[in-house]
Parts: sequence; structure tokens; C-alpha cells
Amino acid sequence: MIKKHLITRSPLRVFEDATHGGPGKGAVAVLASPKGVGKTACLVHIATDKLFQGKSIIHVSYASRVDYIITWYEDIFKEIAKNHRLRDAVAVHDEIIKNRVIMNFKQDGMKTEQVLRSLEAMITGGRFNAEAVIVDGYDFALAEPDDLQRFKDFAGRMNLEIWFSASLRETGGDMFGPDGTPVLLAAHTGQIDVLVTLEAKPEAVEIRVVKDHAHPPAGILPLKLDPKTLLLIVQEK
Amino acid sequence: MATTIERMRNIGISAHIDSGKTTLSERILYYSGKIHRIHEVKGKDGVGATMDHMELERERGITITSAATNVEWAGHAINIIDTPGHVDFTIEVERSLRVLDGAVLVLCSVGGVQSQTITVDRQLRRYDVPRLAFINKCDRVGANPLKVRDQLEEKLKHNAVLMQIPLGLEDQHKGVVDLVAMKALYFEGDDVRTDEIPADLREEAARRRNDLLDAASMFSDELTEAILEDRITEDLIHAAVRRGTIARKLTPVFMGSAYKNKGVQALLDGVVRYLPDPSEVKNVAIDRSAESGASAEVVLATDPEAPAVLLAFKLEDGSYGQLTYIRVYQGRVAKGTELLNTRSGQEIKVGRLIRMHADDMEDITEASAGDIAALFGIDCASGDTFTDPSLNYSMTSIYVPEPVISLAIKPKDKKTLDRMAKALNRFTKEDPTFRTFVDPESHETIIQGMGELHLDVYVERMKREYNAEVETGMPQVAYREALTKKVEFDYTHKKQTGGAGQYGRVIGYVEPMAEGTYEFVNDVKGGRIPREFIPSCDKGFKAAVKKGDLIGFPVTGVRVVLNDGQYHEVDSSDNAFQAAAIGAFRQVYAKAKPQILEPVMKVSVEGPTEFAGAVFGSINQRRGIIVSSIEDGSFSRVDAEVPLSEMFGYSMQLRSLTQGKAEFTMEFLKYGRVPAAVSEELQKLHAEKKARESK
Repeated sequence: MIKKHLITRSPLRVFEDATHGGPGKGAVAVLASPKGVGKTACLVHIATDKLFQGKSIIHVSYASRVDYIITWYEDIFKEIAKNHRLRDAVAVHDEIIKNRVIMNFKQDGMKTEQVLRSLEAMITGGRFNAEAVIVDGYDFALAEPDDLQRFKDFAGRMNLEIWFSASLRETGGDMFGPDGTPVLLAAHTGQIDVLVTLEAKPEAVEIRVVKDHAHPPAGILPLKLDPKTLLLIVQEK
Repeated sequence: MATTIERMRNIGISAHIDSGKTTLSERILYYSGKIHRIHEVKGKDGVGATMDHMELERERGITITSAATNVEWAGHAINIIDTPGHVDFTIEVERSLRVLDGAVLVLCSVGGVQSQTITVDRQLRRYDVPRLAFINKCDRVGANPLKVRDQLEEKLKHNAVLMQIPLGLEDQHKGVVDLVAMKALYFEGDDVRTDEIPADLREEAARRRNDLLDAASMFSDELTEAILEDRITEDLIHAAVRRGTIARKLTPVFMGSAYKNKGVQALLDGVVRYLPDPSEVKNVAIDRSAESGASAEVVLATDPEAPAVLLAFKLEDGSYGQLTYIRVYQGRVAKGTELLNTRSGQEIKVGRLIRMHADDMEDITEASAGDIAALFGIDCASGDTFTDPSLNYSMTSIYVPEPVISLAIKPKDKKTLDRMAKALNRFTKEDPTFRTFVDPESHETIIQGMGELHLDVYVERMKREYNAEVETGMPQVAYREALTKKVEFDYTHKKQTGGAGQYGRVIGYVEPMAEGTYEFVNDVKGGRIPREFIPSCDKGFKAAVKKGDLIGFPVTGVRVVLNDGQYHEVDSSDNAFQAAAIGAFRQVYAKAKPQILEPVMKVSVEGPTEFAGAVFGSINQRRGIIVSSIEDGSFSRVDAEVPLSEMFGYSMQLRSLTQGKAEFTMEFLKYGRVPAAVSEELQKLHAEKKARESK
């Protein structure tokens, strides 16, 4: 398969169709799930899909070590290349990784302003025209009230899309509210344009759109996570 | 003095540049009574630290060559191999590591684990060297040895265990609390005063000691039992920590300030307590006499009575002639011992045998298994193995990377030529990554090495040590060419008009190969090319790949498969088939869609976060790809991949961009394809050069 087909057949097109084109520039999207369901794999898949489209991305990590994140990208790329029998996989790989930068921060003691300053330095100083920023490992429980608004303003100003992962923890009460919104994120929904949750169900991981800009959300998507590779795949009917 | 093996230590002191390694070495020499005055590295008295014995190093305040020196501490003989701290001299570091049994990893209590610490640690790991950590400069503003211990764990994945905690930091730094003896050690002048732990530190000391006991007990059931039964002894702790350290599963952490004479004696105690003696380290050699050419690994016995095996790991040209540093792995050597150089096949007789203390030397009568000494007047290359003539062993060869940069040099005048040749001859023997040759086309002398600074140092040394001043050209990157497509060839070399004729025809294909530089496959059936001419074809292809047609650099990653051909009873010859092979390669080279490859370096830049934007920009400007950036508080590190050709002058740019607050390291990563625009430019320059030369 050549790269072009890989883009058109990506399961992420299903997601975009269900969310009026995806988050879009200037928007903040959040992928929320309990630990161990496959958030990071899913985020890396979203990022890799953008890389295939020739877009540049910055992967911001608050937790993992850089080599660990690179391994995620390598694994996801390998799986996609294998599943779709990608032609010239090595050349495609070398081409797209040039458009990926990983920035690692420690959240404790690191203010969001500082993180955004560094991101801006990368984009303007480093002339790295990122179209999306992927933020993994950000702890919403530690977030200051205005943090998400700062990210949203940044997305608007820099004309890019920001994807967060949110790790949901057992806190005694319910993890999800009645409309499916994670309790942890209830205070931030005003700043979130697209909110997607992953929930492990006995048969498969369920992917649900809880918020879609100002539109009524699409609910459960015909997608699932492949339990072996953790790749998003289209659910067979 | 004969020392038993249990009382020998061969250690290295490895560190990031400027973390105070040389000062620490100096203090060790001082406290062990080898020197009687302390000099600073960049001392105003112009004397400089004793270990840093080259004039040039004195000027730059960095250590370039590894000198071995012998000290005594607590009844033990310690050989200290001073390892260079700059990444451009990696081969020197690696060669030193080969002969170490243990190492002290020096860290700065302010800077912590920096990118070069990571490089050095990786090298120690590659050679399985057990290590202690010494967190130096605890007297500096911002000193935080506990944070550095955390970094050892997080960044280097060490099971780092505090053996001490500081007694005050910055200008209040007076000593350390020994968590094994549970005593305060005050370093006052040349003496160590032992006292009770100050009240305000008792609780922390008790807590940290528990951590130490927890970690140590993993390596000793005896200690575990003793802890349960509350009958812990210092010896039990020492034995457990020693076992963990030698297994490379535990890193004892010491601290102090070498400059302010704090903590050095306790570190030396740690060296003799926890680092292995030579018999506790497994060393293997390759038995080259093994049947059917297959090399067999043999484990060497650290036994003075066994036949001798030694490795020449360092050559030095001193005022008394060539000095060859050796490590004895097995057996013993004394004056008059006959040895075989297993590389050259030459037999030698040991003349003077000495033990070095930086610039001074001491004559010794013999050196036995485990020891490090130096020989006089032996002609050999660095890395050669010497054995008892009954053996034919080779110590595993030291990995030698290919040089990535070259520089044309020209002696200032005719008289200098001889001295320059002498210097180059010496350097190539000392340092396998330093190479030299005369370009057959330009007739220039070319030197090659691992980086700009590497070559700079040799140019300086030529001037200082050999009085050979040379003019240098522009540094030239070692490009490569590579095929991207498989193509078939069918080429006939024919000259049959008058005189002796020439005839050879070769048929087959060439294809790119991912690993290795060149491979020749003979697939000719039925004597279509007589067997005696097959090596001629191989030779011809080998000659052809030495220079690609694009820019005249070697072609790498080529597999040649020869599967058919033709010969002539009378006119075929070695020369004819060589010419046919060269012709065939030239004929199809363009069709194989060759491309130019360039060395790409792994570059790490570290500095205050405020300059991150400038650093990102500087890398982007140099065709670099930023792989990652890591921010930890106000400190950031950027890892990038940058073509070597774009790295010239980077240190200056970085200095001016960051007010000298950032630094970088680089090492060879891979050969990467050059972008089309650069490729065209290089080809244009090559064509111009050729046109000029043919005029």
C-alpha cells in the first residue's frame, strides 16, 4: 500500500467524520480513560496519522522518559506499516520522524506558562511549524484553574490543535458523570472542544465521543482498540 | 614491593569535563603521599596538576591522554588510569576502560548528571566496569548531592546508594557523615577528625542508613539475618556493598569537595573496600592458535605462575624514548622476559620495567598478573597483545570507529617535513582513530580523526612536542557514496591490437547492502572465468569502490555478485580481469542511482532553559533535527541529529548565543543521505576541482 491510501483508510477518518472534522486548529481535545486502557497508544496513533499526512507535531510528555516515548512511536509505526503492507516503509519512517519533536517536562514545579514558553521557542525559535501538540501524562488533578485556558489560548494564537490524555483514577465515587463526562474533567469542559473517553468493556475497549464542539456528541463510535497492538481499528459490523 | 592480588586495584576516574576530575586525582596523589604539594589544574604557579602532564592540557585545563599512576592506600596498591573527559577523544576513554577493573564516576553536585556523564557511564557499562560515584564540589553555591543521587537513579538507572550524607553544604561544607560507622568525619587540613553525628543530622542519618542497609541486604543473607537479630557489624555491611558493587547492581555514593580537601580519604577507603581486585574480574582473550582458523575465547587466569599475557594499552613518546603502558592479565614479566607480539609475530625481550607516577617513574623488577606497568624501548602499536612465546592469544580487539573528518596539512618549510612525519608516525601508533595518508591526486598530507577538536589537538601537539608547525586546510567531512538500486553488468575489457593482448569479460550484478561496506560473491559456474582470475575480479571491484563517480568518496554498502564471464586462453590475465571489473563498475554506477551520504552526529546541548529558543534555532539553522528536549526546572537539554558538515564553528556560536552558559557534546551516529540541494552543490564542487586538477 502506498502512503496516500494509508491516510484515506485510517480509522481516524471515522473519528473525524463523527466529530465534524476532528478538533481542528485552535481547539483542545482530550482523550480520557482509566490507567492501562491504551491512552498513550491511541494518542501516538493520532500523532502518527498526522505525521503520515505530512504534518508536524510536538509530543509533550510530563511523565515518560524520551526513549520510552520513541519506542511507542516505533511500535505503532511498525504495526501500521505491517498491517497495511506499507511500501518503502523505511524511507517513509525516516521522512516522517523529521516532523516529530519530543519535549519532556516535569509537571511538579514546572508552570504551564514555562511549558508554553518552551513550546513557543520550539515553534518560532526552532522554526518548527507544528500543526498539533500532543500532551501526554498531564495530571489534571494538579492543574491550576487557568491552565487549560492557557493551553487553549496558545492553540488559538499558534493556530494548532492540542490533544491531551487524561488519566482517570478511582476516587471512591463514580468515574463518569451521567452524560459520560469524566468527573475529573467536569471543571474543564468549557475549555475542551472535543472529549473522547476510552472504557474497557468485556468484549472490547469502547470509544465514546462525549463532547463535540457545540454539536450534540456522536456517542459510541464504531471503532475499537485492537487488544494486541492497541491500534484503533474499525469495528466489524 | 610485591603486592598480593587481593590488595591491587586498577581504577579509572571518569567524569564530565570540568567536574573536577583532575583536582580529585591530584588530591588522591597528595593524600597517598605521592606528591607533596597541591597544584591547581589552571594553577597560577604554572605547574598544573600532576596527572595532567601534557603542556597543552595544562593550557586548556582538560585531560587528553591517559596516564597511569600508582598510589598506595591502606596497604593496597592502586593504579589510577586517568581517562580523558572529552567526547572527541572517545577512543582514548575506551582504551583506558579496557584495562580498568573499577571506576570512580565523578559528578558535580551542582550540574549533576550531564550529557557527557551519560556518555561516560555508557562506556563504563559497555566494558562492565563496576563503579563508585563521587559527588564533587559540595562547597559550590547550589550544591545538592541528594538531587544528584536521584539523577543517578533516574537518568543512569543506577541503584545508587548513599554511603554518606553531607555535613553542611556550600561554604558550610565541612565533611560527611559516614553511614556505615555512623560517625561524623571532619576533614581538617590533612587530617580526618571523627566525631559524633551532630544532633540535627541524627534523624536523617538514621533514615539514610536504613536505606543503605535495605539496599545492601539484597546482596547478603548474612546481613539480612544480622539486621533482624540486631547484630549488624561494619564488616557485614562492607561485604554486602562490595558484592553488590562488583555485580554492578549497586553504586555506592560518596561526596565531598576535592578542591577544599573534603571527602577524598573516605573515597579512597571506598575504593579499596568496594571495588574489585583483578582476580574478581573475568578477562577473556582469543586463542589464535585454535584449529581450523576458528578463534576460541579463553578465560585468563589472574595467576602469576601462568604463562604471561599482557596488553599494550597506551604508548607515549617521552624524553627517554617510547614508553609502552601495559596491563598484565596473566603470568608475570620481569627484566629479560621473552615475549611474543601476537599481532606482528615479533619476539621481544623486556628491558627496563617501570611504574609510573605521572611524570616521575620508579624502576621495578617485575610486574605480575593484575598489575599495570610500563616498558621501555618496545616497538609496538597501541592495542597489541604480548604473550609468553608458548601462547598465541589476542586480547579482544578494541572497537575502533571510522574517522569522520579529515584535514589537509602542509609543513611550514622543508625542514619541518621530517619532524611532521615523525610526529604523525607516533600519533597513528598511539591513537587508532587518528589516521594519515598522502592524497595521490593532490599530493597533500591528510589527517583524519573523530572531530574538529581531536585534529586540533594533534596539530597543536605537532607544534609543541615536535616543533613541527603546519598549515591546515579546511576540515573536510568524510562523505560516502552508496547505491540505491540493483543493476546488472556485462563488461568486456579487450585490447588485442599489437603486443601482448588483454581480454576479460565479467557478468553479474551489483546491489546495495544494508550492513557492511563491501562484499564480493563468486557465483561463476563451470569455469567460465578460471579460478585464478576470480580474486583479480574481486580486487578490481574493491579498487573501483574506493572512489565513487559523484564526488570521489568511497562507495559503501556494495555487494558484487559475479555469475558469468569469458576469458581468452592467451590474452586473459590478472590485470585484464581487474580492468574488466573496474570497467564494469564504472559502466553501471550511474544506473545504480548512487547517492551521497554524510556523517550525522548525535548532538546534545545543555544549558539554562532561557536559551532553549536560541538553541533550537541554532540546530534548525544547521540542518539538524531536534529529537527531543528535556526540561528539569531551569535546566534543559536538547538532543538532536545534525550533519557533521554543519557543525563547524558550533562551539563558538553556542557560546555567543548563550553567554557561554550552554555546552554541547557530539558523537558519530550514522551515515545519512544528503538532501538534493546539498548533493548537487557537492557534485558541482567536485567537478570544478577535477577540472582544475586536469588543467
